Amino acid sequence: MADASIEFKGTSFTLSVLHIKTSELADIRADLVKKVAQAPDFFYLVPIVVNIEQLDCSVDYQAVKTLIEELKFTFVGFTGAVDKEQRKLIRDLGFSFVNTSKTDHSQKAAISQEAVAKEIQATAVVPEGNLYTDKVHRGQIRSGQQIYAKDQNLVVIGSVSAGAEVIADGNIHIYGSLRGRAIAGAKGHHKAQIYCQNLEAELVSINGNYWLSESMEQHWGSPAFINLTDSELTSSKLI
Amino acid sequence: MARIIVVTSGKGGVGKTTSSAAIGLGLALKGHKVVLIDFDIGLRNLDLIMGCERRVVYDFVNVINGEATLNQALIKDKRVSSLSILPASQTRDKDALNKENVGKVLEELGKSYDFIVCDSPAGIEAGAMMALYYADEAVVTTNPEVSSVRDSDRILGMLASRSRRAELGLDPIKEHLLLTRYSPKRVEEGEMLSVEDVEDILSIPLLGVIPESQAVLKASNAGEPVILDTESDAGKAYQDVIDRLLGETVEFRFLVAEKKGIFSRMFGG
Ligand SMILES: Nc1ncnc2c1ncn2[C@@H]1O[C@H](COP(=O)(O)OP(=O)(O)O)[C@@H](O)[C@H]1O
Ligand SMILES: [Mg+2]
Repeated sequence: MADASIEFKGTSFTLSVLHIKTSELADIRADLVKKVAQAPDFFYLVPIVVNIEQLDCSVDYQAVKTLIEELKFTFVGFTGAVDKEQRKLIRDLGFSFVNTSKTDHSQKAAISQEAVAKEIQATAVVPEGNLYTDKVHRGQIRSGQQIYAKDQNLVVIGSVSAGAEVIADGNIHIYGSLRGRAIAGAKGHHKAQIYCQNLEAELVSINGNYWLSESMEQHWGSPAFINLTDSELTSSKLI
Repeated sequence: MARIIVVTSGKGGVGKTTSSAAIGLGLALKGHKVVLIDFDIGLRNLDLIMGCERRVVYDFVNVINGEATLNQALIKDKRVSSLSILPASQTRDKDALNKENVGKVLEELGKSYDFIVCDSPAGIEAGAMMALYYADEAVVTTNPEVSSVRDSDRILGMLASRSRRAELGLDPIKEHLLLTRYSPKRVEEGEMLSVEDVEDILSIPLLGVIPESQAVLKASNAGEPVILDTESDAGKAYQDVIDRLLGETVEFRFLVAEKKGIFSRMFGG
């Protein structure tokens, strides 16, 4: 019989990995404190896995965990290419040993200066592969009006009326109904997408591929997003 | 400071003049000093609905051109002394008005009136733009049909971008939705948009719902604004509009089709 109240599922997450290169706790602490000071908000309660493969001797595992938690990270466990014995030791001490799906050395530099700078920027503005900033419009866009977000994404907090037109070189997000025309990726950008809370558009277009109302039947009147898959427009349920 | 209210729509024949007359008279009946201005140059309708067409000597254009003073052109209403009408010209065309001079006239009127109600011509050209330019509030008159709603939406865009308030970056014009010629029966039969449909599309606050009513035609033929017909459904609905404009919360009426009572059914009434 299935458990009604719970369900286990596997999902992969991106976790920050802290590589320690010495067993000197004082040194680790000093360097970590410096790192955290650069971006305290970024690191606050961030889950951390500690990689021990670069250590040439053993370390006080409990003390490492305590140190990590003291600096307000969330300690997850240890990882690294180490021998069976050491893994067993770690488990026997009551810590989880996290296996990586593949030995990925490119991720070593997780908390190098550069990576920190990049990651902070990534979470703040620029989703990967999309270098656009947002143009935000508050209020309804009425029939006869047109808004163009040049070299930007367009965020509309309100509805787009029938007879109105919104255009963006990037993505279009409409927190309201889309009843007019929406043209995303206007300058040629096949990854552009259109999101709206209610799809009743006269026309949607991405990178020059367009649909008239009649093609939107499937998600008509519901929250939807539209993108290009192999040069074909596709719509999906948003929530 | 006078409240300048434009009664506008985009589309013609939706009930702007009928509503302007009812609102002007209704506010005056509450003791406010009101002037009604007909911006529909060339058609001149408002004076007929107000029943003062035989008393027009000078008009709005004469005042604009300096051919008459405001006092010469204003017609005092015979029923309510606090109401005046500034009629449109029948002989000039729409381009007779210019922004600067209209502004001067409104400023002058603002000194002695509480409300200036502007009856706008249809369309989105110069005449309608002139009527809405100086407005503080707009009564967006809309029939429950797709084309009328679309035109109202367009006018709302103009209010937000082409008015004096928009140009100067002041607080935006206060928008009111007035749904006119509403027929609950036809809504139920799916022939007309419902109040909810229109509210959903335009998303501005609802000021009133005026039912389709025989009383309106009767009233305009008699030159007696329908708000004076206190027994009629349209008259009552306009009365509610006045109360809401004056800040009261009034429940909406005449939104559902009248069900035939047992007696009328039995006696075929
Ligand atoms: N609630 C109503 N019920 C029935 N007829 C109406 C109603 N409101 C307006 N009308 C009629 O519609 C026509 C147009 O009205 P009018 O006020 O002149 O519109 P507009 O000024 O917008 O052109 C007139 O014949 C008028 O009698
Ligand atoms: Mg009219």
